[in-house]
Amino acid sequence: MSKRSAWPLLILLCAALVLSACGQGGNGGQSASGGSGDTAPGGSDKSNDAPKQVTLSILSWNNEQEMKPVLEGFKAKYPHISFDFSFAPPVTDYIAKLQTMLLSDTAPDIFIIAAENRNEIIDGGYAMDLTDQPFISVMVDANKPMLSKDGRIYGFTQTGWAGGLFYNKELFRKAGIERLPETWDEFIEICLKLKEAGIRPLYDRMHDITIIHSAMFGANVLSKDPDFDEKLFNGETTFAEGWTEVLRMWKEGLIDNGILSPDMIGMTSEQVMNEFALGNVAMVPGGPWNISTIEATNPDLEFEIMPIPGKEPGNKYYNGAPGVGFAINVKSNHKEEALLFLEYLSTEEGLRKFEEGTGGIITAHGYTPNVHPAYLPAYNDGLMAGRIYLPMVSWKRHQEALRNQFVVAIQDMALNKMTPEEAVASLDKKLQEMENK
Amino acid sequence: MTRFVRQAQYLSFLVPILAVYSLFTIYPLLKAFFLSLTNFDGYSKVYDFVGMKNYVRIFSDDALLSALSFTLFFTVAKALLVTVFAIPLAIIFDQKFLTRNLHRAIFFFPSIPSGLLLAYIWGFILAPVDSGVMNKILRELFGIGPQPWLADPLLAKISTVVVASWAVTGWHAILYLAFLQAIPKEYYEAAAIDGASRLQQFRHITLPLLAPAMTISVMLLLTGGLKVYEIPFALTKGGPGFETYSITQVIVLRGITETQYGLASAMSIVFFFIVLVVAVFQVTIMQRREQNLQ
Repeated sequence: MSKRSAWPLLILLCAALVLSACGQGGNGGQSASGGSGDTAPGGSDKSNDAPKQVTLSILSWNNEQEMKPVLEGFKAKYPHISFDFSFAPPVTDYIAKLQTMLLSDTAPDIFIIAAENRNEIIDGGYAMDLTDQPFISVMVDANKPMLSKDGRIYGFTQTGWAGGLFYNKELFRKAGIERLPETWDEFIEICLKLKEAGIRPLYDRMHDITIIHSAMFGANVLSKDPDFDEKLFNGETTFAEGWTEVLRMWKEGLIDNGILSPDMIGMTSEQVMNEFALGNVAMVPGGPWNISTIEATNPDLEFEIMPIPGKEPGNKYYNGAPGVGFAINVKSNHKEEALLFLEYLSTEEGLRKFEEGTGGIITAHGYTPNVHPAYLPAYNDGLMAGRIYLPMVSWKRHQEALRNQFVVAIQDMALNKMTPEEAVASLDKKLQEMENK
Repeated sequence: MTRFVRQAQYLSFLVPILAVYSLFTIYPLLKAFFLSLTNFDGYSKVYDFVGMKNYVRIFSDDALLSALSFTLFFTVAKALLVTVFAIPLAIIFDQKFLTRNLHRAIFFFPSIPSGLLLAYIWGFILAPVDSGVMNKILRELFGIGPQPWLADPLLAKISTVVVASWAVTGWHAILYLAFLQAIPKEYYEAAAIDGASRLQQFRHITLPLLAPAMTISVMLLLTGGLKVYEIPFALTKGGPGFETYSITQVIVLRGITETQYGLASAMSIVFFFIVLVVAVFQVTIMQRREQNLQ
C-alpha cells in the first residue's frame, strides 16, 4: 500500500531533479553571456566617489602563475576591478575552448588572438576595434599586421619572439669549428664535421613546420620576394614555385646526409632540450622559452642562438612572429574596464610585470627589455631587424590545414616516402581543396 | 489498468537518464546530421545548405583512408591481445593466494587514469633516443641499439596497440573474473571425478561459461577501439605522416583544426553507422556462439 502511494512522489522527485538541473544550466549560460561580471550590492552606476565593483573575465594564454605579477599590479592600481581568471594551454586547446565560448556567447571580456585563430576572430566580428586607442602607439609596426585587417587593429601585443638554432660552443670547439656558417652549404659542412668528430650534430623532432624550414624560406625566398605569400593566396604563384628549392635543400642536406633521421620524430620537446642541455647534441632548434630549462638542467653549458643561413652569403633568417594579442570581446559588458587593463599592459610598469611573469621578449616602443646574453643575436639581428618569418602569421587563410599537411609531408620526406616535389604538390592540392570547400 | 500503472511506475525511473541521454547524445547526433549538410566552419553563424557534398568528399580523403586502415588494425589487434591476456589473468585472480587483492588492484589500476596521461608516460619510456627507458634497458641487457619505437611506421602502430592493451587488460580481467566466480564449483568437482584434466576443464567448462563475458568484453573492445583517440594522439600525434591517425583524430583535424565542421560532421555520421553495424554484427554472432557453446 505504502509502495503504491510512493510512486507519484518519486516521479515528482525525478521531474523536479531534471527541471532544477535544466534551470541551473540556463542560469549559468545567462550569467556567463553577460561577461560574467557582477555588480556589488548597493553599487550605483554613476557614483563618482566609489567606483562599482567589476569582475573582468579573461581567458588567458599564460597560466595564472605567469600572469600573477600583471594581474596584481593592475589590481593594486584599480582596486575596484577583480578578475575571473581562466586558462587554456596553447595552442589547440586554447583555440578550441575559445571557439566554443564564442559560439555559445559565453566568451570572456578579454581573450587572445593568436596567429592560428586571427582570421576567424577578426572576420567573425568577435573582437573590438582598438585602432584609435592611445595605447596602440606603444606597439611596434612589425607587430601590427598579424592583428589587423584592412588597416584596423583588433588586438594589442607587447611581445615578439624569434627562434633559431641553439648551439653548444664547447662541442663546436671540439669539432674544430671556429666560425658560424655564412651559407647553407657551410652549415651542412659544419654538421658533417661534427658528425665526423663523433658528435651528434642536430636534433629536430619534425612535429611542426620547423624553425629550420621557416627560416630557410625567409632566407631564400622572402629575402628576394617579400610578397610571396601575398601572391600565393591571390593565386598568382604556387607552393611549388617557392618551396620546392627550400625542401630540396633541406632533404638533400639534412636527410640524405643522415644529419636528421626519422627516429627523431618520436621525441618529445623535453627530451630534445634535455639532450642539448646535457651536451649530447651540438644544435637544437629553440627559442627564448627554452633558455630557463636549459640553464636549470645544466647551469655550466656554454650556448648561444644562431640564425639559419641562406644559399647565398648574408641572407640569414630566424623564424618568429609577434606575440599573441590581447583582444576585447565585442559583446563585453565591461569594455571600459577591459580597455583599462590593456592600457595598463602598455605602461612601463605593465610591460615590466609582464616580462617578469611570462619571460616573454618585450618589443614595445620606449622599453629596453631584459634579454638573456645567449639570445642577443636573435633579438638584435632577427626580431628588431625584422628578419623573422612564420608561415602561420604570413599565410592569409587555412593556416592550420596547411600546417598539418606540411608536417605530414616533411615526416613522409624524412621516411623517404615522399619527394620534395610531391610534398609541394600536396600543399598546393590542400590549398586548392580548402579554397573550394 | 494496474498493469499499466505498474509499467509506468518502472518506466518513470528511466525518465532522468532518458533526459540526460537525449540532451547529451541524441540531440548532438541530430545536430551533427543537420550540420553535415551545411558548410558550417565552426565560427560563423551564417552558413549554407550544401546537400550531400560533404558526404561525397569523404571518400576522396587520403587521411581518412589511412586512418581507417590504422583504426581497424588497432581495434582488431587490441581486442585479440586483451582477450588473450585477460582470460588467463582472470583465472589467476580467481586462485587463492596471499596477495590476491593487491594483484587485482595493481592490474586494475592502469584503467583508472586518463589514457592521455598513461600515453605521455609511455612516450618517455618508448623515446627513440639512446636515453629512452626502453632503449636503455635493451642496450644494457641485450646490447641492442636504439629502436625508433614511435617513429617507424610499423613499430609506432605496434607500440600504440601494446600501450592501449596494457592499459585495459586488467579491467577486462576483472570483468571475466566476475563471470568466472558465477560458475558453480560443482561442475569442476564433477569433471574432476570423471577424470578430466585441468586443460579439459578449462576447454569444456570455463570457456563456454565465459562466453557471455566474452560477448560484452569484445563488444566494448571493438567499439572502444574504433573510437580510439587519446592514446595514439599522445604517443605519436598521428605520425609519422598519417600512419597512426585514428578516424576520430581525422574528424577532429578536419573539424576543429581546418574549420570544416560540415565535412567533419558528415564523417562522424558515417562513422556512427560503421560502429553501429560492427557492434550489432558482433553481438549477434557472439550470442549465437554462446548458444552453440552452452
